[in-house]
Amino acid sequence: MNFLAKIFGINPMEYDQWQLNWAPEDPWLISVSLGLIIPLALWFFWTSLRRIGSRPKKVFIFFLRIMAFSFLLIVLLRPELEFKKSHSLKNHIAVLLDNSKSLSIKTFPGESPRIDLVKNTLEFNEKYLEQLNSKFNVDTYFVSDEIKKTGSHLENYRPDRPFTDLSRVLNELERSYENKPLQGVLLFSDGADLTEEPKKISEGILKSLARINAPVYTFQAGSNDRFKDLALESISVSDFGFVQQPVHLSVMVFSSAMGNRNVPLVLKEGDRILVSRIIEIRNDKKYYKVDLQFTPRKMGKRIYTLNLPRFAEESILSNNQKEFEIDIARDRVRILHLNGRPSWDSRYLREVLANNPRVDLLSFFILRSLGDDVAAPTSELSLIPFPSNLLFDDYLSSFDLIIFQNFKFEPFIDKKYLLNIRKYVEKGGSFLMVGGELSFQGGSYSRTPIEDILPVSFKETDSWFIDQEFHPKINEELFNHPILRLEKDLQLNREVLAALPPLQGANLGLVARKDAYVLAEFGNGSSSPAPIIVAGEFGKGRTALLATDSVWNWRFRKEGGSRYFHRFWNNAIDWLIAEPQTRRLQLESDKDRYQEEQQVLIKLKLLQKNYQPASGVTGRLTISSRKEEIIAKEITTDEQGEQTFSFLPDKAGFFKARLEIGGLQEEVMFSVLKDNAEFEKPLANDFVLKKIAEISGGKYFLLNGTNDLSGLQFDNPKIKTKSHSRSFSLWDNWWAYGLVAGFLFLDWWMRRKAGLS
Amino acid sequence: MQPLACTRKIHFVPLLYPPSCFKLKGMRNHFSIFIFAAQLLFVGAAPVAAGYSDLTLPRIIYKGGNDNARPEGLRSLLSQIARRTSVEVNREPIELKLSDPKLFKHPFIYLGGDEPFEPFPDKDIKTLREYLSYGGFLFIDDNSAESESGFDRSVRRMTKRLFPQTPLRNIPRDHSVFRSFYLLNTVSGRAIIQSYLEGITLKGRTVLMYSANDQAGAWSRNKLGDWNYDVIAGGYRQRQLSIRLGINIILYALTLDYKKDMVHLPIILERLRRYQSP
Repeated sequence: MNFLAKIFGINPMEYDQWQLNWAPEDPWLISVSLGLIIPLALWFFWTSLRRIGSRPKKVFIFFLRIMAFSFLLIVLLRPELEFKKSHSLKNHIAVLLDNSKSLSIKTFPGESPRIDLVKNTLEFNEKYLEQLNSKFNVDTYFVSDEIKKTGSHLENYRPDRPFTDLSRVLNELERSYENKPLQGVLLFSDGADLTEEPKKISEGILKSLARINAPVYTFQAGSNDRFKDLALESISVSDFGFVQQPVHLSVMVFSSAMGNRNVPLVLKEGDRILVSRIIEIRNDKKYYKVDLQFTPRKMGKRIYTLNLPRFAEESILSNNQKEFEIDIARDRVRILHLNGRPSWDSRYLREVLANNPRVDLLSFFILRSLGDDVAAPTSELSLIPFPSNLLFDDYLSSFDLIIFQNFKFEPFIDKKYLLNIRKYVEKGGSFLMVGGELSFQGGSYSRTPIEDILPVSFKETDSWFIDQEFHPKINEELFNHPILRLEKDLQLNREVLAALPPLQGANLGLVARKDAYVLAEFGNGSSSPAPIIVAGEFGKGRTALLATDSVWNWRFRKEGGSRYFHRFWNNAIDWLIAEPQTRRLQLESDKDRYQEEQQVLIKLKLLQKNYQPASGVTGRLTISSRKEEIIAKEITTDEQGEQTFSFLPDKAGFFKARLEIGGLQEEVMFSVLKDNAEFEKPLANDFVLKKIAEISGGKYFLLNGTNDLSGLQFDNPKIKTKSHSRSFSLWDNWWAYGLVAGFLFLDWWMRRKAGLS
Repeated sequence: MQPLACTRKIHFVPLLYPPSCFKLKGMRNHFSIFIFAAQLLFVGAAPVAAGYSDLTLPRIIYKGGNDNARPEGLRSLLSQIARRTSVEVNREPIELKLSDPKLFKHPFIYLGGDEPFEPFPDKDIKTLREYLSYGGFLFIDDNSAESESGFDRSVRRMTKRLFPQTPLRNIPRDHSVFRSFYLLNTVSGRAIIQSYLEGITLKGRTVLMYSANDQAGAWSRNKLGDWNYDVIAGGYRQRQLSIRLGINIILYALTLDYKKDMVHLPIILERLRRYQSP
């Protein structure tokens, strides 16, 4: 080595190895080829020397030719002499530290969090880990639903990730070490992996372990021994429900070491208890399935809370309460339709309602008048008693809309029930009165609660009803009103309304209230116009009236078609029950549920009374959590009557955005979710940790904080790798080519001297 | 409690009921005669306050045959409807041609006769088809009291042209027409030619009903209150059942399947179980 270094003028201390390299990709092929050609050529050459008598001369000439061929061969094989310095390669050890939330759960008997067991163990084995670090490349990772490399300092080691997914962790680990020698893995975890099925190990973990091909030593932080907890492990309930329809919940309650006791499970909406159930907790049983049922009474996004009592000795208290949200919608529109007498008007309206798949219709026709003589006993009639008590006392609030069509309330409804209808509308119900001789004053509704809720007042008049054909005059200001939108296109809508067949017969003596929407009027020129279609609001509810009994004309005519009749009534129903598209103020969030650290976007749209965009109107937007107001802000609509507002919630929970603008108010609810799933299933999972260790050839340990890891030994095979080198060409220089040429020239000159050509 | 209504609108048309209607058990006969005579004093004395939405029964005029074989039939039925139900009626039936634009102001039309009639022009067939499809109702009554009469053949020919894909079918006994006001399980008439009604149903709504039993003949009575035609092979009960059927047909046209609503079913089924209609 030193000799060669001297020859090539390099410092022998810098290198510890030398090596001869051959440049051709397949030097053997060249060597074999030349090994065949050269001897053949030499044989021919030898035979050509037979005329030379002197044997030494003959041998010398032949020697010269052999030397020439030898150097030619060296040039062809392009040899290089490489001096190099090499060192041993270190293997990798991966240390995986679970930092999911379940590591914060108390463990017994020390009542310290599981993560402390991990920290104490690492501290206790500090020297061993330092040694390990000197021999191997020790890489430390925080693992949960992700794998994140960290330094050896563990100041940032906190249990704050939402959940653990060991399958994903091992898969990503395997990919990280695809081209690196991984000699072993130390996994510190409680094994609480909600993605794994109980007492099973997933295919993903098995595949990753096979590819890692290194022992995984698993260290379980925390045990289930004497683990005390009462938890709402899971709630199975639909995201949406229907008003007045039972909602079913299936709740799984988990109990561990809580003794024998009875605990109440309570479902609340706000402070109101909806349903409660006593669960008999027994020491020998861990899981309790409880089915609950309640009936939502109001629509919209509702937040419900399930509660279990909290006991001081529990490992974790936060899993004794769970909130969830259900979007309560209207599955069907429940309509009570009362007809004073069978008529074509009531027949066609009933047909619209009965054929509408959205509508649950309960209709009553008064088929027999007080003075009628049916000439048959009751048993031969199909008439039934009119259940006024049930309808207007017990079940009134279950209807979305009440229609009185040419209906005189006496003697079917006690006057006191009219007050119930008033309250019903005031609280958000809907009421429609359709005209005819038994409606309005004709139905003795003057100075009754019905007059209060209608958008008109009654005045004394000579005649309450006029039988005259007329074209209703549509209010130009309110062409955009949802009830009158028979076509989307405004111009077409105008034409359609103008082309509707005439009506005949109108109720008189009605004076629209100031805040009413008079959509259509009847004017015979001789007196002030009489309102025909009027819509209004009373309390939280909506009311409307149709002061004619001839709208069926729009249905039963060759011209005009029936679709506008249907559309008119569907529009009227939608407006009366305040379907979202008919509201003047619309407030919504871009999502119902947000994750933590996600931006919330609130959108608003405000329409004027004539349903044109209300621009430049300022209102007050407040956003509050359940306990406190977070944001209060002035907000002004743009030219389209719209505006947006975004903010970043600083905590999880349920929020309410409330907007008061232009005399209207609207609310929208949304939730910001925090993933606490691991608290719902808090048990440590020794099965998965044991299996991982067993399958990978590692070992399972239960941490107590003072486990000695020094027994863990890892092989470090002597794989060497060069750090630097220097090469010298043995052929690409003047003396190699000179020797070839010199030998050939000397060969030629000797042959000439010997008399050969 | 029965659903009884107090009608504010007062019709001054006299209710002409024969003395027999006022015969009560133990009451002297001359009292009923007195009441009847008192009614007669008001005949033609009061105006009719007819409303546009009140029930009007148009009789269809057609070419050939006899479209007015029972001139008093519809008026008598209207009188019975006014007397027995809360339906407000226009007491005088009207006459209409199918080509009359006023046809689409009257969702119920009556077509009767006792002789074969000329096939309707294509235009009238088309109008009638539209009328029924848009929500109208046609009641056809064979007044001939004969089986396979000329009128019957004309009707069947006409209905085939009207809805070629939907022929006349027997109306089942659980149809709403048999419970729209009275509970019925027979199809009566002046003469029982067929024990069933026939009809055409479109999209769940029966738009046409046909009776071969001369219903209008059973309904007809003169201004003195006497029945115009004797019922064949029956008596008072048969006539009453025909009137009840007439009222039920009208009430069906006005309320459709109302009596099939779930709220009615338990009571109706219980009564049907107890009540055995003759």
